[in-house]
Amino acid sequence: MALKNLTNWLLWAGLMAAIIALLGWGARPNMLGLFIASGLAVGSLYALGGIGIVVLYRATGVLNFASGAAGAAGAMTAWQLVAWGWWPPLSWAACILVALVLTLAYGRLIAPQLAWRDPVVKAVATLGYALILLGLVSFLWIDEPRSITLPTDDVGVRLLGLRITATRLIVFAASILVVVGIWLFLSRTRVGLQMRALANDRSLAALLGIPILRVETIAWGIAGLMAGFTGLMFANLIRLEPVVITFMVIPSIAAAICGRLESLLLVLLGGLSMGVIENLLTLDPTLRGVRPIAPFVIAALVLLWYQRGARLTFGGRD
Amino acid sequence: MDPRLFRITPSGGWGLALAALAFVFLPMVSTSYWLSVFTSAACFTLALAGVAFMYARLGMVSLTQVGLMGVGGWVALRLNHAYDFPFEVNLILAATVTMICGWLLALPALRMRGLYLALVTLMAAGGLEIVFATFQFPNGGEGFWGVQTGSGEAFRRPWLAQSPENYLRYVIVCAVLGFLLIELHRRLQPGRAWALIRRSEAAAIAAGVNVTLYKTWAFGISGLLGGAAGALLAGSLGLLDDGTFRASESVMLFALAVVGGARHWLGVVIAAALYKVLPALLNLWGVDADLAFVIFGAGLLHAVITAPDGIAGQILGALRKKGGRNAAG
Repeated sequence: MALKNLTNWLLWAGLMAAIIALLGWGARPNMLGLFIASGLAVGSLYALGGIGIVVLYRATGVLNFASGAAGAAGAMTAWQLVAWGWWPPLSWAACILVALVLTLAYGRLIAPQLAWRDPVVKAVATLGYALILLGLVSFLWIDEPRSITLPTDDVGVRLLGLRITATRLIVFAASILVVVGIWLFLSRTRVGLQMRALANDRSLAALLGIPILRVETIAWGIAGLMAGFTGLMFANLIRLEPVVITFMVIPSIAAAICGRLESLLLVLLGGLSMGVIENLLTLDPTLRGVRPIAPFVIAALVLLWYQRGARLTFGGRD
Repeated sequence: MDPRLFRITPSGGWGLALAALAFVFLPMVSTSYWLSVFTSAACFTLALAGVAFMYARLGMVSLTQVGLMGVGGWVALRLNHAYDFPFEVNLILAATVTMICGWLLALPALRMRGLYLALVTLMAAGGLEIVFATFQFPNGGEGFWGVQTGSGEAFRRPWLAQSPENYLRYVIVCAVLGFLLIELHRRLQPGRAWALIRRSEAAAIAAGVNVTLYKTWAFGISGLLGGAAGALLAGSLGLLDDGTFRASESVMLFALAVVGGARHWLGVVIAAALYKVLPALLNLWGVDADLAFVIFGAGLLHAVITAPDGIAGQILGALRKKGGRNAAG
């Protein structure tokens, strides 16, 4: 087992090095560094989105398509509050709060009614919620170019001769901190233990008297916080447009797949690799156009790799 | 040959009657706006039939059907601008190529089930979306991708159906043929194998059913129908836009199949109407397109929570109750 793990890690490192070398061949090192840095920032966003999805999926069995929409609603609220002259930090807090409230509302009001349905049906129901949110947000804020600026955008940090904005560093650091934080939470606290029990076997956990509603509410809360933060950062770093932020959930799911909807560390690595590879594809003249395809191809390959050697066997709960 | 093979069930009879009515009267009463709406609705009915069939018969979730429609449409447009084939040849070739794409998608996907299978198909849909957005659909230009700027060349419709009215009839006939193809399969060996697989794969393997073959077969049929739907859509519009084939649309199509009720042909027709006719109605009434999303989402949530068999299940249940009361009284 350990040997197999080691091979997987070596394979991943080797592949990443090969891809970076192949795509970055002939580019100036400085340029290459910049592409990798901004790729890591984008990748952190994918990973953050993916981590929120995985935490929620493990604890509640719901694959949340609405996390992007909740983030979009939060980001638009933040923009509006700044436009009304609010103190910016308050508006950022409002962004996270809005996403939290919207996600919790779904988790408490709608999700329990679907508790015993197929995982796929649960996922489709969150899509309905995402559509409602997206419709309302696009109705309230008509389509026009907007942006959210953070004070850290103008702060540059020099790192190995590259100038990197502090926002990108924050996103990158946040993704690592979140993984460590959630890992500690799951392994050290009582609620974390209960969450892991739920993830293992829902009906057994219920039989043991684990307060399912409470644990699930906490999981929805974590997912809401992550959705809000990711939405805010996405709006700042990439684009503030409800549709774009809403469907950012698809590459986030791709990152989540890299961790088999299970391992947070692998989600982080998967997301980061996707971001870097996607950004490096800009350097290749022929592949530049299909750059955004990278997360899907990577996720599909990773799924196939996990399934290698597996035989078509008996259907069970999956 | 067993005569029961061609027996018409009451539900099938109603379906054929409805299709016949639509065939005769729908084109007569429609304005040109509604003609194009109904034609796309009929195209999407065909595609939805594939999605619903996979979900209802095998419990497999395909989130890439609209992407496969795009493949079919691309092939049809490419052939149309490259050669002088009649429409039917383009249609059949496009459907065949898409069926092969469905098989290719099935081979890796076969090892996965449930949510993971859905996610694999979602990744495929995401990839196809970007390919379409980058390379666009052929409109008579040079080279392999065949794209030129400015207005494209005309798309040849079937000689039987040159006018929009007749084209709608043509698409309705194709949709009915699609349903009959599925029904025929259901009554033959594949149908029995699928029923067994849906119950239990273990039992199917034990009974000597080649699970891989029949699952791949199902993917192929779904792809065939999706490809034909794409080619028919290309014939209706004359050109295709990549915005039609986003991954989110594929997810939406599956969602609507659940809302309508995947187990019954009526559910598929309802789903297609929700997907194409309802937005057109709202557009006509001047309702903001964004609010249409809200209605859609709320309808989806409502249907998913209250009606496991979809709207069709509710309608049929109500009818059955009424019929039962009449019989008892």
